[in-house]
Amino acid sequence: MITLTNIEKVYQTKSIETVALQHVNLVVPKGEFLSIMGPSGCGKSTLLNIMGLLDVPTQGTVEIDGHPITSYKDKELAHIRNEKIGFVFQSYHLVNDLSVLDNVELPLLYRNGISASERTRRAKTALEKVGLSARTKHYPTQLSGGQRQRVAIARALIGQPQLILADEPTGNLDSVMGEEIMNILLDLNRVDGTTIVMVTHDENMAQKTERLVRFFDGQQVSDAKVFANLQQV
Amino acid sequence: MIRHLFKLIWNRKKSNFLLITEIFICFLVLFGVLSLVVYNVRNYSKPLGFKHEQVWLLTMRPDLDSTALNRQNMAQALQLVKSMPEVEAASLTSSNAPFSFSTMNNNVTYNNKKILSNIFEVQDDFKDVMQIELSQGRWFSQEDDASHHIPIVINEVMHQQLFGDENPLGKLIPQNDSTNFQVVGVVAHFRPASEYAAEEPGYFERILPAKNEKAFWGEMLIRVKPGTGVAFEEKMIRQLGQVAKNWTLEVSTLEKMRQNKSKLALVPLIALGLVCGFLIFNVALGLFGVLWHNISRRNSEIGLRRALGAASSQIYWQFIGEVLVLATFGLLLGVFFAVQFPLLQVFQVESEVYFIALLSAVGIIYLLTAICAFCPSRQAAKIHPAMALHEE
Ligand SMILES: Nc1ncnc2c1ncn2[C@@H]1O[C@H](COP(=O)(O)OP(=O)(O)OP(=O)(O)O)[C@@H](O)[C@H]1O
Ligand SMILES: [Mg+2]
Repeated sequence: MITLTNIEKVYQTKSIETVALQHVNLVVPKGEFLSIMGPSGCGKSTLLNIMGLLDVPTQGTVEIDGHPITSYKDKELAHIRNEKIGFVFQSYHLVNDLSVLDNVELPLLYRNGISASERTRRAKTALEKVGLSARTKHYPTQLSGGQRQRVAIARALIGQPQLILADEPTGNLDSVMGEEIMNILLDLNRVDGTTIVMVTHDENMAQKTERLVRFFDGQQVSDAKVFANLQQV
Repeated sequence: MIRHLFKLIWNRKKSNFLLITEIFICFLVLFGVLSLVVYNVRNYSKPLGFKHEQVWLLTMRPDLDSTALNRQNMAQALQLVKSMPEVEAASLTSSNAPFSFSTMNNNVTYNNKKILSNIFEVQDDFKDVMQIELSQGRWFSQEDDASHHIPIVINEVMHQQLFGDENPLGKLIPQNDSTNFQVVGVVAHFRPASEYAAEEPGYFERILPAKNEKAFWGEMLIRVKPGTGVAFEEKMIRQLGQVAKNWTLEVSTLEKMRQNKSKLALVPLIALGLVCGFLIFNVALGLFGVLWHNISRRNSEIGLRRALGAASSQIYWQFIGEVLVLATFGLLLGVFFAVQFPLLQVFQVESEVYFIALLSAVGIIYLLTAICAFCPSRQAAKIHPAMALHEE
């Protein structure tokens, strides 16, 4: 699905130069559930941004379905993001001026040929999945952190993307709710074959995925199949 | 997408309230000024109904109390002017000569319909002096001397207001117990007040010094031959001075009087236009500032939309669209008030004037807001999604 070759990402600010990623080589095959762990500031979000075609690496190549992203124009990249990728951001990024339902509908707004009623129907289904059917008319500011996170997850699901990039999707949820979200993701992965890349700080969550890549200071330090799951297969 | 924008603006109505109010007020002022401009321009583009070039107005102010002597001098003066080779035609007139600052009017009633009409007292030669054209009937002539009625020539506006579609020729309009006006002719237009004034109902009545022994007319319209200049003015005054000794005599060209009248109409219009322009400039500046500020406030939303699949150009059009929707809210409010003017017939102005002004004002506001939105929207479209999402 995604191939990263020799990625390097350097943030250049006025006074300082931050190397966020270095020598990253990562292949994410179709249908894999990959988790990424590492201490704060090691470049996990940066990596997801690059995988999600939101950012370009300073060096190295990114290929999606075998095509280097440099071969696409802005419009085509937007189209790929819309059709193929679902994002769950670390800080949710909900639009405060839109209701929960409208927030969830957003990705479909940028897709052609979907009627308003169809959008609403699918948004309601997605919200049901994350247990928020009772909050469709609320506004983000009226929700708790965990509820906002679930809205963000519903928004990532609605477009039925082939790839979900989730940045700490269970970070603000209690263990029960976190478990539930994890099950939704696992389901998507197993049933629909959705490729998932998830950043997490929770070792237990990581252990439920197929493969775990650990980062430290912008570099991969380990890459392994998760043992428990290996036995399961 | 348009629905989405309306929803977005509607949900933000509190923070957008000020902008919407500004656009609303801006629209109303613009509508007012444009109505005035359209009204003036439309009047200007209509025919005056006469030709004022080469026409001079001679004003005579006698110093004597003796009416008989004054009238004698007046008759002699007219005779003298008409005999001058430079003069083509001359006619005494009531003081409301074209482009003058005086008016004369009278209530006219026909079949219980009562209108206020201008009266222009003129002599038979007036037609040649002002070169007016009749659309129906005839101008005054000798045959009117024998009539029992007072012959009048009316303008088309008076015809419409008083008689509607009926044929006006021969119609009798009771004047007092013993006399009637009789319409003998119609002029298509006669609009002497100013080029920028609307045409009002008006009628011409004959000046007959012989029949009216007390009256004195101190104004004379004179058509001179082309190429006649100031030298003749001096000569004429000198010769007239010998006839009417100690009279105050003044000559002005209608062209000069026309210019004065135009200035009087245009100066307030220009002043209003400047005030309006200043207001619009301020609103535009404010709008521009708010939009610019909005972009930075909405950085993360822009990043999010890009992440969810909006192309850079879609962000651009979203922001332009939002401003146009914002303008639409202000305009809807404004149009609601503006249409009351034609609906309630305020100021007796043709509805068309208001509608032209309304459409132009709507167009200008949309254009203005789109221009204000252009730069900020382009800036928004350029925002790098990863950077925008990083800031929070
Ligand atoms: N837009 C940016 N400009 C400058 N530096 C940045 C930018 N984004 C990230 N960085 C830097 O890059 C490094 C990696 O950041 P990143 O957000 O990827 O970390 P992270 O692993 O996601 O951390 P956390 O677990 O706290 O979310 C950090 O040192 C950060 O300061
Ligand atoms: Mg992060």
